[in-house]
Amino acid sequence: MLFRYFSFYVFVCFVATINVAAQNVTPCNSTLSGKVIDEHNEEPLLYADIYIKELQKGAVSDTLGNYIIRNLCNGTYTAVCSHIGCEKVEQIINVKGNTVVNFYPEHHHELLNEVDITERRVSLVTTQTINSISGKELEATRGKTLGESLKGIVGVNSLQTGTSISKPIIHGMHSNRILILNNGIRQEGQQWGSEHAPEIDPFIAGKLTVVKGANTVQYGSDAIGGVILVEPSPIRDSTGIGGEVNLVGFSNGRQGILSAIVEGRFKKNSSFAWRIQGTGKEAGNTETPNYFMKNTGVKELNFSGAAEYKRANFGIELFYSRFNTTLGIFSASHIGNLTDLQIAFESSVPLETSGFTYKIARPSQHIKHDLLKAKAYLYTGNSGKLSLVFARQYNLRYEYDKHQPLNDSLAGLNKPALLFRITTYTTDLIWEHHYAKSISGTVGISGITQGNEYEGRFFIPNFRNYGGGVFMIERWKRNKLELEAGLRYDYKWMRIYKWENNVIITPQFQFSNFSATLGAIYKFSSKLNLSVNAATAWRPPAVNELFSDGLHHGAASVEVGDRTLTHERAYNFIATLNLNGTKKFNGELSFYYNFINDYIYLAPVRPATLTIKGAFPTFHYKQTDATFKGVDAGFTWNVVKGVSLISKESIIRARNSSADEFLVLMPADRFENTLKYTFADGKAFKESYISITMLNVLKQWRVPANSDYVAPPDGYTLLGMDASTVFPLGKQKLNVGIGVNNLLNRVYRDYLNRFRYYSDEAGINFSIRLKYSF
Amino acid sequence: MNYSHEFPKKNLLVMSKTKKTIITKMLFAFIFLAGAISGCKEETPPPVNEEELITTMTLTFTDSANSSNVITATFRDADGDGGNAPTQFDTIKLAAGKTYFTEITLLDESKTPAENISDEVLEEANDHHFFFNPTGATVTVTYEDLDTNSPPLPVGLSTRWVTGTASNGTTQVILKHQPGAKDGTEAPGETDVDVTFVTEVQ
Repeated sequence: MLFRYFSFYVFVCFVATINVAAQNVTPCNSTLSGKVIDEHNEEPLLYADIYIKELQKGAVSDTLGNYIIRNLCNGTYTAVCSHIGCEKVEQIINVKGNTVVNFYPEHHHELLNEVDITERRVSLVTTQTINSISGKELEATRGKTLGESLKGIVGVNSLQTGTSISKPIIHGMHSNRILILNNGIRQEGQQWGSEHAPEIDPFIAGKLTVVKGANTVQYGSDAIGGVILVEPSPIRDSTGIGGEVNLVGFSNGRQGILSAIVEGRFKKNSSFAWRIQGTGKEAGNTETPNYFMKNTGVKELNFSGAAEYKRANFGIELFYSRFNTTLGIFSASHIGNLTDLQIAFESSVPLETSGFTYKIARPSQHIKHDLLKAKAYLYTGNSGKLSLVFARQYNLRYEYDKHQPLNDSLAGLNKPALLFRITTYTTDLIWEHHYAKSISGTVGISGITQGNEYEGRFFIPNFRNYGGGVFMIERWKRNKLELEAGLRYDYKWMRIYKWENNVIITPQFQFSNFSATLGAIYKFSSKLNLSVNAATAWRPPAVNELFSDGLHHGAASVEVGDRTLTHERAYNFIATLNLNGTKKFNGELSFYYNFINDYIYLAPVRPATLTIKGAFPTFHYKQTDATFKGVDAGFTWNVVKGVSLISKESIIRARNSSADEFLVLMPADRFENTLKYTFADGKAFKESYISITMLNVLKQWRVPANSDYVAPPDGYTLLGMDASTVFPLGKQKLNVGIGVNNLLNRVYRDYLNRFRYYSDEAGINFSIRLKYSF
Repeated sequence: MNYSHEFPKKNLLVMSKTKKTIITKMLFAFIFLAGAISGCKEETPPPVNEEELITTMTLTFTDSANSSNVITATFRDADGDGGNAPTQFDTIKLAAGKTYFTEITLLDESKTPAENISDEVLEEANDHHFFFNPTGATVTVTYEDLDTNSPPLPVGLSTRWVTGTASNGTTQVILKHQPGAKDGTEAPGETDVDVTFVTEVQ
């Protein structure tokens, strides 16, 4: 039985080097001891063989994984760790007195009869600029919304509607122009709305990645601004049960969040693994330095489950998640007409304020998002992997207006003023391949079908669409140079169902076009590389751009679509210099230039629309040529031991080149600098740091004339602090983090927050994060 | 990002017959899934303007000296906000030196039969308040009704308009919905109606 247990595993031992120290003549009574621990499930490894090569002296770990080698002279030796099925790995050890060295062999779960396993990777790292948040950095964002968490990536901003609704902006583009892949599936909700946040629980993610620039070849049309990947950590590959519990609290809004993951791999049949995850969140009214924002609470209850069956040459994965939220919309932001907006803006305190409450009243949103994903994959011999992915998404959005209908019987129904139901099916068949050492790539075909229905007030019509795409990306690699080229063809068919003059009209639309990418990476050394990428991408007009027709309540404007709009065509150039792996200084400098033909935007139109509520400024969807250019820079400078300076800068300039003016709602110049002190690991605590961050956002004065009711707010400087440590508790671990946002409780407003007309931003906010891993 | 995929080195270079069948089956499944799923009911959109609208406001002026002398002024935008432009937008034409008793009627004419919204406003009089802002025309408007707040506040469905000498100008009629916030001033709440009539006193 024991042998059978061991034969399930292949262990690879870690290699580390420790420098030799000068030696004095000392008696030879030193010891070398420690634990041999499975790196993945942190279980002790028994009967591992540890011996010192020079002395031919060794020991075997006991049932708790402990070993001890006695009567050693101080000095430098080569220790060899071996285990059944483990390649002997040598490690240089500096023995001085009673020295403790733990071995964390990394094992790879494998099946019986599988020998000589090698791991190969099809590298799909593109020549585009990619940034990720994971590990410690991701942990520091726990409890924040997805949009807010991504702000840690240079060049990424967010379009806010208060504190609870946050949409990511990449290089000045958002909503329909960026794509979010939730666990590999393109997120399909009502993403056109600026107050429609991504319906994703950030606790699902083990890693958040942003691909900047046009990336439609791999992911399909639309992603002309960039792609956000929300990826769960892989399910544990060792048998047993593990997990984590996260507990996060914020003082502002008296917010509490509980999130837990439990996962396991069966001991008897280790091909099977499972994971369940859930998050509950509740927050009350947000507090600005001078008042509470009435009705800004949030409730969230999300869960997901995953299961996988993995064999040597094929595997099946199932994933289901449900996102469920109820959001209060700041009462003072719901206005009847422009005069109301003017009064709201001129008032130093919002026209409606309140004390603290968790209660959510009207106006509010209630959103549900279901995702079911099934994936099957098959290794096609030496040369690749074939995957078939099917997903169904169902997005339900209720929007409740501030007041009920006057008619009591209508009011009694308590119906939302607006309801959207959108169901999406996607299927992808992907073959990742690896012809020879120098060539690898991906070929794929994908299909999508979608149906949208609404009830209540008209904003976008019902529609059905079908789409499909085929693509191929190949990559050639030799010595210091890597080249990449890709091509994609997409087709989209859409039919609208809409009442017009008392008949249902059903206009049809067809769009089809090519996307292409061409890029290169040149490695000057193992640490310094330059990547350049040129891509062209397209985006068919979205249904709101074609058909919206109505009053946007929060924005006090009339938005009118144009059904003759054509697709946007983007030409994107990005060059990134990346320095990584040096001791003192690591960083990234990126330049981009994005030219969009027939860029769709809202242009102010005169005269204003006359309604019974007064005259409203009117915007029509129009097309123009636009340019986006900018610089993203980020570096980490290890000033002296323990002290580092982390700096992130992003600057963007976007212009409507036909009208020769700036584009509206572009992020202001942003500079973020963090001074961080990392403590040396102790026995009782590990990975500890304390940091202070200063964020400077300049005033966005580059705005087009006549596109906004009030001038953009001033720039601001905010201070924040964060500290974190890990307490090892035997096999378990407790991470503790504390933070403060807006440390000086500054009164400020942000240009990218739609509530800038009505309210200040949130004031000081203390947070505490606890994570217990088992 | 993590695109890592493991490739076990196994003698699978020659694809077996079963594998080929699996791939063919996968392709069929793919085409089926991408193309064959439907069954939603988006083909029948909900009726237009299902929600409550105020499409029409009529001011009815009755001469205090002669109740058969009735003047009306109407604003009508039958399809609601946006869409088609208002179809009727009258000028208020009053005689100089007179007193008129004025009633406001609000209708939702997008429904059949038309719904009387002013009755609903009356029901919720404690949360609603009309305001009248004449400019240029010599008109003085005073309230003729009160709600049941304490102290009672005006509503404005019934008013008294006293005209002076002949003059031209405008009169802005505003209806504010002020749930829980009605305090006699115009500032709080949400605007339900805001129409500026050209006003002639002859």
